[in-house]
Amino acid sequence: MSVAEIKNLCKEYPAFRLQDVSFELRSGRITGFIGRNGAGKTTTIKSMLNLVHPSSGEIYYFGLPLKGNEAEIKGRIGYSTGAANYYPKKKLKELAAVTKSFFPNWDEAAYKEYLELFQLDEEKSPSELSEGMKVKCNLLLALSHRAEILILDEPTSGLDPFSRDELLDLFLLLKERGVAILFSTHITSDLEKCADDIVYIRRGKIAAAATREEFQRSLGLEGETLEETMLRLEKEARHD
Amino acid sequence: MTKLLKKELKLTASPLSFLFIAFAFMALLPGYPILLGAFFICLGIFQTFQLLRDTNDILFSALLPVAKSDVVKSKYAFCVFIELCGFAVMVILTLVRMTLLKDSAVYRANALMTANLVYLGFALVVFGCFNAVFLRGFFKTAYYYGKPFIWFIVVALIVIGIAEALHHIPGFEAVNSFGFEHIPLQLSALLGGMMLFAALTLLSLKASVNNFEKIDL
Repeated sequence: MSVAEIKNLCKEYPAFRLQDVSFELRSGRITGFIGRNGAGKTTTIKSMLNLVHPSSGEIYYFGLPLKGNEAEIKGRIGYSTGAANYYPKKKLKELAAVTKSFFPNWDEAAYKEYLELFQLDEEKSPSELSEGMKVKCNLLLALSHRAEILILDEPTSGLDPFSRDELLDLFLLLKERGVAILFSTHITSDLEKCADDIVYIRRGKIAAAATREEFQRSLGLEGETLEETMLRLEKEARHD
Repeated sequence: MTKLLKKELKLTASPLSFLFIAFAFMALLPGYPILLGAFFICLGIFQTFQLLRDTNDILFSALLPVAKSDVVKSKYAFCVFIELCGFAVMVILTLVRMTLLKDSAVYRANALMTANLVYLGFALVVFGCFNAVFLRGFFKTAYYYGKPFIWFIVVALIVIGIAEALHHIPGFEAVNSFGFEHIPLQLSALLGGMMLFAALTLLSLKASVNNFEKIDL
């Protein structure tokens, strides 16, 4: 079932254009959002969260337009970016206490479970955590309110291979529970492990949006890994 | 909104914003431009805005399941809360000066503005200017706070200068009345300050809400 639809999203910057970006997210499926640095991944994700304003296009969640239903929709989705570092001097438990007051669906048991899983100490503040642990800290807040859609901007960057593997296993578990996940990444091996669908963006345009199998069948060459396909496509595009 | 205001107080606020409320006690200083107390309270609020950029507060708030307009409103509510806390202290101290200390020689000999209802009216104008100049300026980008604060300093010093100079101008001596002398005039000045504070804050809020909806974070 489609839970999010992005239709003909356009955004113009002086030196960059996001053009007619369209794809959808379905419940119980993991979508890998790939593209090189500056391809438009973060702009797309920020548009999906109404942090940047598209020049045109439509965004729907659960059949509702984002415009006019922002508060309700944000209560049902979770967002995390590896890069942001919120309130570095506040203890994690203070952050969680304030965050949960905004989410009627906050699941305290899930919060404790993820706290344990990520081995995070509630008494610590983000400034005391490594970059990887900060990513987990953001994920913890996003996961604890039973989000039906998770939008994750490079959630695996900065994580050690073990934590990354654990996180990808967690994605698979959430998928079983019917959660739709969109995650952007440069690390194509993450996609090999868990992505059902792939949205590939290049120079602000969607170059492909398909299931992983279709993607490899239509764009990959015999015996090529996803990473090799991606690299070849980028090189070909550079020569165009 | 209540939840957002609680968030402002628990996560966003700099402790200096609360501490600087104590500058309201400047109302008791003789021979000192006591309106600077209102200015320093605003300086305390400014500390929160310096802090919130370092803590990614605007992004955190914008991602919460609240209307974007409420993010702006909660910032204004926080500022007005601190301002009114300072103002409440000023009111108490001013009433002490207008009653118990009315005839105190040290205050009578003071060449500068005395603490009366006119002073309270001007204090509200300083707060109103902070909301109109600094907050409005900040929400043009939700990022840059330096230039808006410099503009506020200029405007606040002009307002304070006018307030201090006023009673030296022939015909305006009554604005520096002691105790309950010229009380209709004093009350009118306070009422005028209240109206100006409300008008400046509400107009600024409306403009900031519109602007915040348009900017890319």
